[in-house]
Amino acid sequence: MTTASNLLAFLGLVVTLLIVWRQSWPARLRLFAAQSLLLAALASTVGVLAQRRGLLLVAAVVVVVKGLVIPRVLARIGSGAPVRPITPGRSSGITLLVVGGLVVAAYVIMLPVTSSVELPTEGAIPLAFAMALIGLALCVTGRDALGHILGFLVFENGIFGLAILATYGLPGIVEAGVFLDVLVIVLIMEAVVVQVRREHDSIDVDRLRELRG
Amino acid sequence: MILAVLAVPLVGALLTWRAVGRLATALHAATAALTLVGALAVAVTVNRAGPLMAFDGFLRADALSAWMIALIGIVGALAASEAPRYVAHAPGRFYPLFHLFVFTMLLAVSTDDVGLMWVAVEGTTLASVFLVNFERTRASLEASYKYLLLCSVGIAIAFLGTVLVYFAGIQQFGDEVHALRWTTLMRLAPGLSPRVIELAFVFLVVGYGTKAGLAPMHTWLPDAHSEAPAPVSALMSGVLLSVGVYALLRFKPAVDTAAGPGFARGIMLALGVLSVAIAAAFLWTSPNYKRMLAYSSVEHIGLVCLGLGFGGTLGTSGALLHVANHALAKSVGFLLSGRIRAAYGSAEIAAVGGLMRGMPRTGAAFLAAVLALVGLPPFGLFVSEVMIFSAGFAQGFAAVAGVVLFLLVIAFAGLLRGAHAILYGPAVREPAAEPSGWRPALPMAAALALLVLTGLAWPPGLGAALDRIVAIVVP
Repeated sequence: MTTASNLLAFLGLVVTLLIVWRQSWPARLRLFAAQSLLLAALASTVGVLAQRRGLLLVAAVVVVVKGLVIPRVLARIGSGAPVRPITPGRSSGITLLVVGGLVVAAYVIMLPVTSSVELPTEGAIPLAFAMALIGLALCVTGRDALGHILGFLVFENGIFGLAILATYGLPGIVEAGVFLDVLVIVLIMEAVVVQVRREHDSIDVDRLRELRG
Repeated sequence: MILAVLAVPLVGALLTWRAVGRLATALHAATAALTLVGALAVAVTVNRAGPLMAFDGFLRADALSAWMIALIGIVGALAASEAPRYVAHAPGRFYPLFHLFVFTMLLAVSTDDVGLMWVAVEGTTLASVFLVNFERTRASLEASYKYLLLCSVGIAIAFLGTVLVYFAGIQQFGDEVHALRWTTLMRLAPGLSPRVIELAFVFLVVGYGTKAGLAPMHTWLPDAHSEAPAPVSALMSGVLLSVGVYALLRFKPAVDTAAGPGFARGIMLALGVLSVAIAAAFLWTSPNYKRMLAYSSVEHIGLVCLGLGFGGTLGTSGALLHVANHALAKSVGFLLSGRIRAAYGSAEIAAVGGLMRGMPRTGAAFLAAVLALVGLPPFGLFVSEVMIFSAGFAQGFAAVAGVVLFLLVIAFAGLLRGAHAILYGPAVREPAAEPSGWRPALPMAAALALLVLTGLAWPPGLGAALDRIVAIVVP
């Protein structure tokens, strides 16, 4: 279990790094879908090895909601937007340096958790948390609505991965609530972005600058 | 009985979904009235006969829940009384979302399961985001975008905190089926790993603190509160923020037991001081009176946080009383600001002047609400602020209490300056006629009368109700 969970969490982190590195929107979207599938694989691995049937169901829902439905909605939101940002990109050297710092920070912050127990999956917990932190950074620095949503979803994937690794599955109602929640957020985001585009002729939320003070 | 209180707004939301015209308004009024009656009934029953439960304790209302349920019922009814004014001018699903919003808040405070509480708090965001954008202007669109994004991120962080609490529980005690229950958590608290619980509480504070509007996570608040229609602003400011505080208050005793009282206290005091400081600064610079009221909410939530941080019987009951007083005063303030905005066509302070001459009744009520909000007697906020600060001095935090008192004076002057410009400044334009007759005045007068009651003579049972809550949250 240790090897499998470490490997899957590590792959998840690699995919997250690629999401940070790539600029093209369709590529980032595919990477997000891949990350969700890795999350499903993680859930089913832990489910089989720790004999938690519930996690297999969770894995199936992850595949459907985060692997299929949400990427499709995101593709719909993104259609019409330029594939790459028109403004020159950030220096990827500095970005990757920041990301490296976040991974270190994740290990430090999760120290109380990993040192308090002997779990076969404990090595992967900081990796999942690093994924969450990088997602949060993507969300905060995102330059348009798509960047924000994608960052938020990566963040959410990281937290969900952490939840699976640390607790081997939460009570059903909470997991159902989480999925419903992510799905509704993405759908509401779509409605809001459609309106932003109608009002501002762009999804560049930097133009939302009226409310100050 | 809990089931009935939760079912009423949910059914009301479903019924008003399809209804139009007069029928919708009638259903809306009936739902709000029944919710109020049910909420008060729950509050009385819990205080007479102890906690109510349903579904094997999954839904559970103790004295703390009852306090919040009663507040949500009262502020919900106040806001509902003003809602038809807004729906008449714009299409959209105002009533159903309004009652759904009330339902999610009621659910958040009446469950024993901290996981379901998390789901419900997230639900409050999803139910209210379209209400914030109800007027569909550029500004309200921007406000709702910020609101959705910031609160979703915040609530996801709170989820992480909840997961860690659950993790600490099952690591120490194996798979207890009810480990996500608050009552179980309180029982297990002495044995939980202090370091993990501390980390969890940091995430919970950032997460639920975003919902509560604590600085520095408050940045969505002035936008959402000022752009939402007034009844929604009243609900958000009056009770939604307190629901965020409630969530923290549920975890605080467990953290105090597991990690010692100093940890949560330090965080709460720091955030409280920062919130009051930021609000005091922005109360001076805000050009818009709805934003001014919104920053005043940041200030008062900061004070509540300070009261909980000081702790003890006095600090905790002062904070809870302050939650109630602020809910009443701020919802009256926002509802009146909505009327002023409708009459003058603008929420800019500069566009409104001479309110006392143009709209004497509304102006007088607005003045009363502002005086209550700055904490002058005979209104209840004076009493609860005195309780909070006495607790600060009694617990040996004289320096913190002194700094905050100084900041309060700045906030006081800022809010009064804005209110003075609105009420007595030179008139820029003629307002539309203000609502006449006793009916529009009744809800506001009732709320202000309640505030005088909590300020001068506590109704029987209020002190006992506060003591019961203190027994729950002070370990």
